[in-house]
Amino acid sequence: MGSVILDQLKRDRILDLLKEGKRVDGRALEEQRQLSIETGVIPKANGSARVKLANTEVITGVKIQPDKPFPDLGDKGILICTAEILPLADPNVEPGPPTEDVIELARVVDRGIRETEMIDLHQLVLKENKSVIGLFIDSSIINADGNLFDACSYASVAAILSCTVPKYEIKDEAPVLVEGVTSKAPVQTLPVSVTMARIGDYIVVDPTTEEEACMDSRITITTNSEGNICALQKGGSNGFTVDQLVRCSEIALSVGTKIRKRLEQLMQDGKE
Amino acid sequence: MMDVKRRYVIPGDIIVTGPLRAEQNVYQDGDRIIATSVGISEIYENAVRVIPLTGTYIPKTNDLVIGKVVGTSPLSWEFDINSPFIGFLPAQDVFGRDYSPTKDELRQRLNIGDLVAARVANFDRSRDPLLTVQDRDLGKIESGELVEISPSKVPRLIGKRGSMIQTIEMATKAMITIGQNGWIVISCEDPEGLLKAIEAVKMVDALAHTPNLTERVKSMLGVPEGEYNDTIND
Repeated sequence: MGSVILDQLKRDRILDLLKEGKRVDGRALEEQRQLSIETGVIPKANGSARVKLANTEVITGVKIQPDKPFPDLGDKGILICTAEILPLADPNVEPGPPTEDVIELARVVDRGIRETEMIDLHQLVLKENKSVIGLFIDSSIINADGNLFDACSYASVAAILSCTVPKYEIKDEAPVLVEGVTSKAPVQTLPVSVTMARIGDYIVVDPTTEEEACMDSRITITTNSEGNICALQKGGSNGFTVDQLVRCSEIALSVGTKIRKRLEQLMQDGKE
Repeated sequence: MMDVKRRYVIPGDIIVTGPLRAEQNVYQDGDRIIATSVGISEIYENAVRVIPLTGTYIPKTNDLVIGKVVGTSPLSWEFDINSPFIGFLPAQDVFGRDYSPTKDELRQRLNIGDLVAARVANFDRSRDPLLTVQDRDLGKIESGELVEISPSKVPRLIGKRGSMIQTIEMATKAMITIGQNGWIVISCEDPEGLLKAIEAVKMVDALAHTPNLTERVKSMLGVPEGEYNDTIND
């Protein structure tokens, strides 16, 4: 990723259209692509979701198992998000150790879920400092067409909402599975990330690969259900002005509200 | 047209048995002619070939290709030509024989991301293809829109004796440069004509394996019945 070289004609066209307030795919500047969220796509996982943002497609699975807590966080359960771009997802991706972009992707998704305190990690403790429940949230990018941050974030949140947490009890200092008893994940709020790209003086929401290839800088803002900004990541070699940042946070809230409604629906019905 | 037998084949299918000449994407085993790729087999004029449904672009000497500059070395440009092979354009080809890496700056002529119409000067599969822009209508492409289609559909887009491409060009007043590598640059003064031409090219890409395509493209473009019929129907 990141090595996409956009041809000059396309770049000129994107810039020309932006001057008229248009985008190559006909969207408004602050419009997201068609989003579809589907849960329960992996029967053997504790929770799973498939998210499509037009051509970008992500499958996320949640694995829940007891584990030792981190030494400095003995009163909290474990939450780990990872991401992987499959070589088939993009011509520029090769198999092998994750690149910087993929590590950033996983960390931005992780931070969004962690810093909004979506899951009450205290409820995942079986025995303080000894044994806790761990949530391992793994996202696989099936097809990459820009804005993997939001796609992975929505998929991870949807997968957590859909997951059933098995019950564990401590017997002889070790966690033992209680058969047939499950519960929902202890969700407190719904994080929604919104990624924006700055191309010249224009801010576009949900950039495609082509737009990412000619953007100056990028920002991902994650908000919680109360409308607070909880996590933020800036990317790209350029910056934002203060006014642009304020504008971005407003967009993150207004666009985020629409996405959150869909996730709330998902939480209530178990499906959209 | 002579008697043409068309059939969908997969690799390993025996297309025909008999004293026929093996052409593209087939091989001869005794007197059997066997397909080597997924596509439509054609038997015509004592020859057999398979028109592939998919496939990458393998350069051929003299092909016109559209390339995108992806890098430079002191003596040449490197091109993405939508192929497993990288195209090379030597600096001398643009600067002339007195090119000197110390004096001339390659990126001032062609920068990363620029699109170029070039011809494959030499290629033998053991070395990367050598490109040239020393010909009429070759060189940097300054305007237009790039459309990507499958390289195996390029012959269909051109049509018999250029019938398909002529139809599209005449109906939309667009200028279309077709690279054999499946990259096509369409330019048109009229934005509506441009959109129509792009749509037509994409339609050919999607429906390349179906019969009567020229007629369907014509009706999509709103060409009246019987117009441009001096070209041969397919």
